Parts: sequence; structure tokens; C-alpha cells
Amino acid sequence: MATETERLYVLPGDAIDEPLVPRHKKQPLRLGPGLRHIPPSAIVPTVAGQLVVEPRKNSMWMEYNGGRYVPAQNDLVIGQVQRSAAELYLVNLAAHTASATLPQLAFEGATKKTRPQLAQGALVYARVVLANRHMDAELECVSAATGKAEGLGPLTGGMAFDVSLGLARRLLMARSRDEGGVEVLELLGAEGLAFETAVGRNGRVWVGSDSPKTIVLVGRALRETDEGRLDVEQQRKLVKRLVREMR
Amino acid sequence: MPREAEPSLNEKQFIVQALGEKLRLDGREFDQYRPLELTFGDQYGVANVTLGKTRVLAKVSAEVTVPYVDRPLDGVFTIATELGPMASPAFEVGRPTETEVLLARLLEKTVRRSGALDTESLCLVAGQKCWSVRVDVHVLAHDGNLIDASCFAVVAALRHFRKPDTSIASGQLTVYTPAEREPVPLSWLHSPFCVTWSFFGDDGETALLDATWAEEQVRVSSCTVSLNRHGEICQIAKLGGVPVEAVALLQCTAVALTKAKEFSTFLDGKLAEDAKRRNKGGFMAELSSENDR
Amino acid sequence: MTVIPEATLSVLPRADGSARYAHAGYTVTASVNGPIEAQRRDEHAFEAHVDVVVRPAAGTGGTRERHLESIIESSLTQLILVKNFPRQLIQIVLQIETTPDNDYVNTKLVQASLNFPIVPSLLQAAVLALISAAVPMRATATASVVAVVSQEGTKRLVVDPSPRDLEQAQSVHVLAFTSHDELLLAESEGDFTVKEWDGVYEAALKICCRPTSTKAGIDVMLDDSEDAAGSDMRQFLRSTVEAKVAADLYWK
Repeated sequence: MATETERLYVLPGDAIDEPLVPRHKKQPLRLGPGLRHIPPSAIVPTVAGQLVVEPRKNSMWMEYNGGRYVPAQNDLVIGQVQRSAAELYLVNLAAHTASATLPQLAFEGATKKTRPQLAQGALVYARVVLANRHMDAELECVSAATGKAEGLGPLTGGMAFDVSLGLARRLLMARSRDEGGVEVLELLGAEGLAFETAVGRNGRVWVGSDSPKTIVLVGRALRETDEGRLDVEQQRKLVKRLVREMR
Repeated sequence: MPREAEPSLNEKQFIVQALGEKLRLDGREFDQYRPLELTFGDQYGVANVTLGKTRVLAKVSAEVTVPYVDRPLDGVFTIATELGPMASPAFEVGRPTETEVLLARLLEKTVRRSGALDTESLCLVAGQKCWSVRVDVHVLAHDGNLIDASCFAVVAALRHFRKPDTSIASGQLTVYTPAEREPVPLSWLHSPFCVTWSFFGDDGETALLDATWAEEQVRVSSCTVSLNRHGEICQIAKLGGVPVEAVALLQCTAVALTKAKEFSTFLDGKLAEDAKRRNKGGFMAELSSENDR
Repeated sequence: MTVIPEATLSVLPRADGSARYAHAGYTVTASVNGPIEAQRRDEHAFEAHVDVVVRPAAGTGGTRERHLESIIESSLTQLILVKNFPRQLIQIVLQIETTPDNDYVNTKLVQASLNFPIVPSLLQAAVLALISAAVPMRATATASVVAVVSQEGTKRLVVDPSPRDLEQAQSVHVLAFTSHDELLLAESEGDFTVKEWDGVYEAALKICCRPTSTKAGIDVMLDDSEDAAGSDMRQFLRSTVEAKVAADLYWK
């Protein structure tokens, strides 16, 4: 984790001081979301947020919450099937946006004869393989390298909850507790609730369980964590309260 | 035309399934409203209503105009409801959707046709001059149950509103500006409220109050009861959908009455609170205008 | 009447971004949705279409609102990085909630002319809502309205004129600047000389582009702002947004 120096909040168009830009000898500078490069050497934020610099990886990005999901390559997303076309499904990643395409053969073990049949409104957990401002995003439910689903594919049953993009990002962090400050799902699991989840970077969390009560509880815990901006300690209290209410 | 977003199959199925087990997604009871909030602006006749994530703004305005030829003794009273793209990108300006038309009709029936506002009192000079009172309903955020929230906002704004004072001396009509004379409230007869039930299940056996947007997408039928605190029903609208048992409907009306009473008490309290706040300001304002001269 | 601007970000839970802005008697709520799918007729092959809808507090929108929409739209198109989202739509809805009362006149529902005083509130609300929606922008912007009022032969500048000032104003000017001190918008109405305009420009520049190095200390707000100092819009914008970002990133 970055050292606890003073947080640097910037607004769109602010000038970033030259010494802040990491200068690694070998690696090229990597710019994350919310920054743009104006040749020759100016780096300018395009959104309001906290500027994060990682000198070891020679990268910098903007940390912010909010807004609408814009597809980016390798994101894991939960999409909603809009309709089926000849060879592909048209999938919606956020309301009112242009659909992404999901080839019908991009599922594990799918052939011309055994491809999955998805009804309108069905949910799929997929990876973005192509995201380009001039084209509709392309998805896949199978890893091109291994030919395995690796957890991707149609999501049956359960319930999808909307969360903010920031929370979705934190839930997807490898160490969500330490880096993202979110532990609510683990805490619920520790209380003995049996459920499975799939987190979409596009701000959707799918929760599956045999017990609808559990699903409702997980959904409420997520929502209250998100809207109430709860820290780990508060999440612990929330989970305790919700579990007690349920019993 | 952008289409309205629809919940996924999973969501639709789960909401129904959970309701079958007496569960709502937000943990509410079936006959429980989301937290209702009401704030008034600095001006008269502006009401900001929040019901969960639904937000409605109602603004009342008045001007002097010519009465309709066939009703020379009545003032003009209109309620304008427009769902703009602020509520959802699916709503377009100037192209009313079904939701918008139904909302406008229901408000019209509940507030205007029930005689809540005494339109005769708006008449200034018979056949020549009258007040035209207009309520603009702006939906800022749509998360279900627009009808109840809008109706509450309209009634609150109208009761809060003050129109300029007038006098007639030897056939001469004078409209006083707020600086000359304190504006006067409208002649208000009773406060109707809408209570909307949503029905779920194959035979509509599950009834919910204050459905969220997602719940509204999967309901099989709905019924709006408009009534005041005295239990006088202005209208009942059940526009199609699955038939519902008459006994169940009677029960719904009974619960609606307790809700209407709650609304009424809540609104009275808020109006009194606001009046108190204003009185303090009014006194100070008088002092300062005194100093100006 | 609010002398100091007030703003709240992300007030509407179902829009991508939103803001409520109150200043000088005007209250505007703005919502931003985007980038979303544009309709065929609005689609542009290389950039996003910025759609601005201004909705009056009372009455239906008319020419007055269309005029305001076109002013705001052309300004925002300069700020938003429209090239990032070809064929998409960024929809901004500005709902006017209150306009200042003139206690000495009974207002009519439909007001002709004198639209300018509301432009800064509309623009500021829109910029804040765009920030809240994390729509990529080239820069932020601040705006101000200045009136030239002639009283007993002498002319003076009034920042954020009240409805009474406007009645006596000879000319009204609305100016907006980007955070790079570039002039973004300049609209004027009435009779004025080039010299007067220069004065107006200086006054507006002072309000919109005060250098941020001078930390806003204890600013004594005089009821009667004779010196036309006004508030420091840029500092206001920054502190509002920083507070929001800090709250959003509470977990960092």
C-alpha cells in the first residue's frame, strides 16, 4: 500500500507537478483511468478524485467513485442478455447503453450444436475482451488460453444487486479487506450463511443461495455498506445486527 | 426512442419468490412505507418530497387571468405533470409515456375533481378576472410509487402556498405585491392522499404498499385509493391487471385510511413547523424593511 | 437569499451524477446520465452528443429555455472530452427549483428576456453534476453574472444582481471561465461601451479565477457588496468537490 503521505485530490484539468510523475528507467509510464497524456509530457486528470502514484510499477491513476460503467479490457462484468442474434447475444452492461456482443460460441465446451440457450433478461458473468471507443464491447465466457470457463458463464437463479462502481472495484481487489476496506461478504460467510457471489465491475453483484432469506440479507448488507459508507468495524456491527434480526 | 431498462429474469423471479416467503428486498413489512420526508423552500408553495429513493418536487404558482366562458364564477386550477429525462433517460421531453398520463390523470381525479381546492374562491370579478393556480410536478428521481409521492407533494405545496392579496374598490381590482401586503393562503377544503397497493402472485394474493421501481416491474396488478383523513374516498383506480378478491380490496381500503391519517398528521406537523420558522423570519424582515426607509 | 453559494453533490440516487446548487436566490438541480446510447438522429460518428434540457420551475419550457439550453450546451461541449465517446449521448437535465422573488412586483408565469442571471447557476450545477458523474473533462469552469447599473449619473458594477438591480440595469453580462483562465462564455445584453465591458470582464475574472494559492481565509461577507468583490468561485468549486471525493474514498 502506498505510504500515508498527504492525499492529493485533483480536479479535471489541474496541473500535476512534474516531480510527482514517476520516472522509472526501464519500464514505460503506465496511466490508469482518469488521466490523459498531452504531448509532449503533460499528464492531466480528467475526473475529480485522488491521484495515486505507484513508483515501483511506474504507474499512476485516479481513484474515484461514481459515474456510469464504461467497458475496459479484462474487466469481469455481469451482463443482461438483450436479445439473441444469428451468432451472438447482445448483452447490456448498464441501462440505456449500447449493447456488448457475446459470441454464442464463447462459452466453455460450446459447439454449433451444444451452445447455451439464453433467454432475454438472463444474466451472464463474462470478461470484456475488446473495449474500444469506436466499437461495441466484446465479451467472452471462456478463457481463450485454457478453454475453461473459470467461473464465467450464465448465472441462474439468485439475485443481482446494484452497487456503486467504487464498491464493485473494491470487492474485486485481490485483498479486498486490506486494500479495499470491505469485509462484509467474508463476515457474512463467517456467520454461517451459505451463499455464492459474482461481482461485476459494472456495479452489479450476483448472490446465489438456496435460502432467499440469505440472499435478501446479503443484498441489504451490501447496500447499507455502500450507501452508508461503512468502514470494516461498522460492517462488522451491521452484519451482527442483520444476522440477529433474521434469527 | 430509448427503451426503459428492465430488471433481469433473475431479479424478476427472485422478487416474486421472496415475496412468497414474506420477504422484501429492503427488509420492509408489506404495509410499510419507505421513510417519507418533506421540506419546504424559502418561497411559498414549493414542496420537496422524498420517499426512499423517489424524489418529487411540486411548485405552485398563481396569476390573474380570464375565467373560462362556461364557468364565469370559477377560477382556473391545473396540475401539470411531466416526467422528464431526469427521472429516467427513457422519458423524453414532450412525448408523454403511459406512466406520465396515468399519473397526471390520478392527480387530477384525486386533487382537482375531489374539490380539495375551492375554485369559486379564486374568482375575482365574475366572468372577467380570476386566479389561475397551477401546480407543476417535477419528478427528480423515480424509484417507484410516484403516485403517492406526487400526490403528497401536490397537497403539501398547495397548502403551503400563499397567493397575493387582492381588494376590489369601486370596481377596481388591486393585486398587492408581497411588499405591500402579506400574501394569503388558498381556500382549502380537505386534503386527499393517494395510497397505492401493488399485487403479486398468480391471483394477486400478496398486497404491498409503496412498491419500489423493481417491485413495480413485476407486479401483476395495482390499485390506487385516494381518500382523506375522514375516510371519504375520492376515487379508486384499478386499471386492469389480474382480478383481486373484493374482500382483499376492502381490507386494503381500511389500511389506506390509517395511512391517510398518518400522512395528514405528518403534513400538519410539517406545516406548523414551517409556519413557526417563518414567523420568526417575518418579524425580522419587518424590522429590516422598517430600517430601509 | 443566499449570498454564499451552496452545493450538494450526488443528490439523486438513480442518476449517474447529480448536484444541487443554490446561489443568489436561484436553486438548480442538475442530473447527468451518460455516456448512454444516442438516438440515431443525435448520433455523431466521432464525438459524443451533449444534450442539455432546461426545465422551468413553473410552466412549460419555451423559447427562453431553448435559448438557455443552447448557451449551456455550447459551453459544456468545450469542457467535456466528447471525442472519448463517439456515437454516445451525455444527457444533462437542469431543473430550476426557485428563482429570486421580487417583492415589489407580482411576477407573471412567463417571463420574457432577462435570462442571463440564471446562467451561472445553471452552468455551475451542470459542471458539478458532470464531476459527480465522473464524465471526463478537459477542465472545470466557473461563471458569474455582472450588471452595469446607472444610478444618479454614475455607473457601477453589480455582481449577482437582484431582480431589483436588473430592473435598473443598463446592461447585463454573463461570463464563464475555464480553470485554465480561458474565457468560455460571454453573453451580453443591453447598452454598454467597450470600456464598460472591460470593467465587467475584470470583475468577473476576479470572481471566477482568483488564484488558488491565496487560501480562502475568513472572508467577511458584506451585505452590501459595493466593491463588487463577490465570492471566490474557483475555491468554492474545489472545496465542494474535494469534500465529496474525500467522502467517497473514506476507505482509502
